[in-house]
Amino acid sequence: MISKDEIEYLAKISKISLTEDEAKKFPEQLDKTIEYIDILDELASDHSIILDLQEIKFDELRDDVVRMSGALPITRNLTEEGFLKGPKMK
Amino acid sequence: MSGLHDLQAYEVVEGIKQGLFSAEEYFSSVIKTLEHVESRLHSFITLDTDKALSCAKVIDGKLKANEDIGQLGGVVVGIKDNISTKGIRTTCASKLLESYVPSYDATVIQRLKQNGAIILGKLNLDEFGMGSTTEYSSYYPTHNPWNLDYVPGGSSGGSGAAVAAGECTVSLGSDTGGSIRCPASFCSVVGLKPTYGRVSRYGLISYANSLEQIGPICRSVKDVVMIMNIISGKDNKDDTSMSSSPITINNKLEKFEIAIIKDLIDGSDDEVKRTIYSASEKFSDIGCMLDEISIKHLNYALPSYYTLASAEASSNLARYDNIRYGFNLPIEEYKWDTYFSDVRKNFGEEVKRRILIGSYVLSSGYYSKYYLKARGLRSLLKLELLKLFKKYDLLIGPTMPILPFKFGEKIDDPIKMYLVDINTVIANLAGIPAISLPVGFSNGLPIGLQIMAAPFEEQKLIDVSYALEQAINIQRRPKLE
Repeated sequence: MISKDEIEYLAKISKISLTEDEAKKFPEQLDKTIEYIDILDELASDHSIILDLQEIKFDELRDDVVRMSGALPITRNLTEEGFLKGPKMK
Repeated sequence: MSGLHDLQAYEVVEGIKQGLFSAEEYFSSVIKTLEHVESRLHSFITLDTDKALSCAKVIDGKLKANEDIGQLGGVVVGIKDNISTKGIRTTCASKLLESYVPSYDATVIQRLKQNGAIILGKLNLDEFGMGSTTEYSSYYPTHNPWNLDYVPGGSSGGSGAAVAAGECTVSLGSDTGGSIRCPASFCSVVGLKPTYGRVSRYGLISYANSLEQIGPICRSVKDVVMIMNIISGKDNKDDTSMSSSPITINNKLEKFEIAIIKDLIDGSDDEVKRTIYSASEKFSDIGCMLDEISIKHLNYALPSYYTLASAEASSNLARYDNIRYGFNLPIEEYKWDTYFSDVRKNFGEEVKRRILIGSYVLSSGYYSKYYLKARGLRSLLKLELLKLFKKYDLLIGPTMPILPFKFGEKIDDPIKMYLVDINTVIANLAGIPAISLPVGFSNGLPIGLQIMAAPFEEQKLIDVSYALEQAINIQRRPKLE
């Protein structure tokens, strides 16, 4: 059973604040989810079965080449001081 | 009422090239339909009508000047709102990104534009792609064009509904655990999740990178082929992308060995079962061999999927930290411990649940109990499927185990909601291609058949889907007049 304290801790490390309603209903909902994925524990703990599905070798990665991005200049959100400014929170 | 908006993409391009109608005339017909139905469907989050109209005029101008209009010249396309579009707001249906305007195009968008496609706007989804109904969109849910009281499926619900209703001719969705195939099934359109790596993910806003792919939603198999050949291919901006041979429409079908996944049929509602069995009878009519099989690791697929997807989501969504993406909070109220969470409280409930589950399965003590086991299962499942594909060309079953359902039916019970993805997550875990093809209706609600193939065997999916499409000839357009 996942406790209220555990959820609070998870929220803290995930940097999320929960509304009152969420704090009330999440323990039961998350508990059910964890109970559901608990079936995975039946699988053998043989780590050799872990294969990378999409194996990319280091030498297959492209070289870093500096070129112009073609992206739009980010001027619409600049302040007078030249800082980037985010939108106001509603 | 049938009109130019009813045409399929290949018919639109032919019609414009032959001068049967102009790009602008076809565009106006699509806009007229959109204006007529959008207030009831809510498929779109953002429309870029003026820019789209000027693009249609450019196509007509090019044609007059005898210039090439491109393989998709004039075709109106809708884009799921988690795919970056230069200069068009891209929200992921999240409050966190309500004012975010990307400064660059995703590779798939670049390729569509280079081929003359017209981007009409951005389509609704469950926030960041997390959901199966669009009810988790932070703006509004999209309605199913076949019955407005029902969900259109998700997470690419806007992409499915808009194409079915004629608000655009084709659309792009993204599929992490079924998000293209589910709305394709619920809206009676064709949706393809490509092999992992076939289509570049550059510019797709990340939710679970190891599972997701961008793919087309269309009204015909022929259109799927057309779009796939444009968006597929190696992209230097996505190192998991690979080059692949183009696919094509073949009029002659090879004699494929096909296996029905019995477990997926057994877990489905009776109406779905009946329709899938009667559709599969057509396979012998078109000359294919049919067998029945079971998948040993199927029971573990969905728990494994939700473990991996949540783990990747919790890591990916950490970037919305109020520094790189966020809001302009007054500096006087600035507090270190709440600076991040004050903004991150704007995530919707489902996103928060998945971030919390993700943090849980990745935390020490639980990492080997859940996350490592889930990755192990993923390998076992893929090996099992690859073995099956040595014997069979294709595996089939229902795309969704149930019919489209009413709004609110599952929203308060996350597990009930997760269970609807049970048939689709297999392809994402194994990285294989899968298509959803409309095969019937029950009480006016659409049913889709899912066909899966070995990695990069999209051609087989297309061959059999095209033959089946001709044999079944199902209604694709709802009556919304």
